[in-house]
Amino acid sequence: MIATFTVVVFLLAAFRLYIILPLSRTLKPRTASHSISTRRLAIFLGSGGHTAEALALLSTLDFSRYTPRTYIISEGDILSSQKAVALEASRAISHPKSNNDNFTILIIPRARGVHQSILTTPPTALLSLLTCIYYVTVAPILYSNESNSDFADLLILNGPGTCFVLCLAVYINKFAGLRTPSLIYIESFARVKKLSLSGRLLRPLVDKFIVQWPQLLQDRGRGECHGLLV
Amino acid sequence: MRAFVTVGSTKFDALVNSVFSEAVILSLSQRGYTKLVVQCGNSTFEFADFVANGESQVLEKEGVEVEYWKFKPSLQEEFDKADLVISHAGSGTILDVLRLPKPLIVVPNPTLLDNHQEELATSLGDLGHLKATTAVLCRDLAKTIETFDVSTIVPFPPFDGSKFARIVDEEMGFI
Repeated sequence: MIATFTVVVFLLAAFRLYIILPLSRTLKPRTASHSISTRRLAIFLGSGGHTAEALALLSTLDFSRYTPRTYIISEGDILSSQKAVALEASRAISHPKSNNDNFTILIIPRARGVHQSILTTPPTALLSLLTCIYYVTVAPILYSNESNSDFADLLILNGPGTCFVLCLAVYINKFAGLRTPSLIYIESFARVKKLSLSGRLLRPLVDKFIVQWPQLLQDRGRGECHGLLV
Repeated sequence: MRAFVTVGSTKFDALVNSVFSEAVILSLSQRGYTKLVVQCGNSTFEFADFVANGESQVLEKEGVEVEYWKFKPSLQEEFDKADLVISHAGSGTILDVLRLPKPLIVVPNPTLLDNHQEELATSLGDLGHLKATTAVLCRDLAKTIETFDVSTIVPFPPFDGSKFARIVDEEMGFI
């Protein structure tokens, strides 16, 4: 009896997962109504070169369209938050009429520290996941009566590790049928012949998978290349 | 003429030891360089003790004035002043220098576990945007400096923000 129940639950879960995976999708994901003229954007700043590329990409967007903006930063990565604030400040000067001051910075614990032992990784990764779930799933439900309560319409990711945890949190929303952001992953310009670990993990999960070197798509897997973007 | 060497935020013993070698200094002097500036980071080399506390030191070797120090908050000014940049293969540094543009010799750090730095350097080298070489043998770096013909550099494409903006606008239903 219990075994049958488990099998049925498992099959239903697998079917649900199959439906929400972008590979099998024929319809556009559920995003905000296209009648409104702005989209809420969230972007993960993965420190160092990841942050530099992410902000270079973000700087190309029309901030009056993509507003408000949420910068997601790993705990202790002060440099990335300074750079995000600097970009916002420079936009406020160059485009004084667009939606300024319309950004927030979210801090999430690192899934795994740089020299962290493999043994202590599971608890820290779990804490990281729970924080992401809070921001992506729980907070929007708790504050659903306020306008702009959703996490974001668009989530831009470019690695490293912690961005996979964010993606998992988004999938919990997808699984539950809650509104989810479109996911765009951009592989670093530094990756020429081999995808990064986060690239390989996120490739089947994101709505748009972009690489900057065409060699990376020679395996005929999913993804697109528009040449250099940074 | 002025050359600038950077090892990035950590250390790169092989590169720093190479640039202080007679072979490399001679090759620079031969090509008309009279000033060499070295950002040595935490690398271990003959003169490392003199800059251990953040000092800047100068010495003279084979008619080349060599200035060296560990770190500066921004290297932009050094890139601007240099006629040649010799750098580790960090993607940020590569972009900064190629966009200026300045002639660039890239030396991937073989001690880094992930060898994607080398991939990037070699690929950009194959496209003619820079010269990629190794620092394990001082001869290689010296030879690259001696034979680097700046007129053969293929210009690196400028930053084109419209491409990514279009991709995102399309995905989000603006186009």
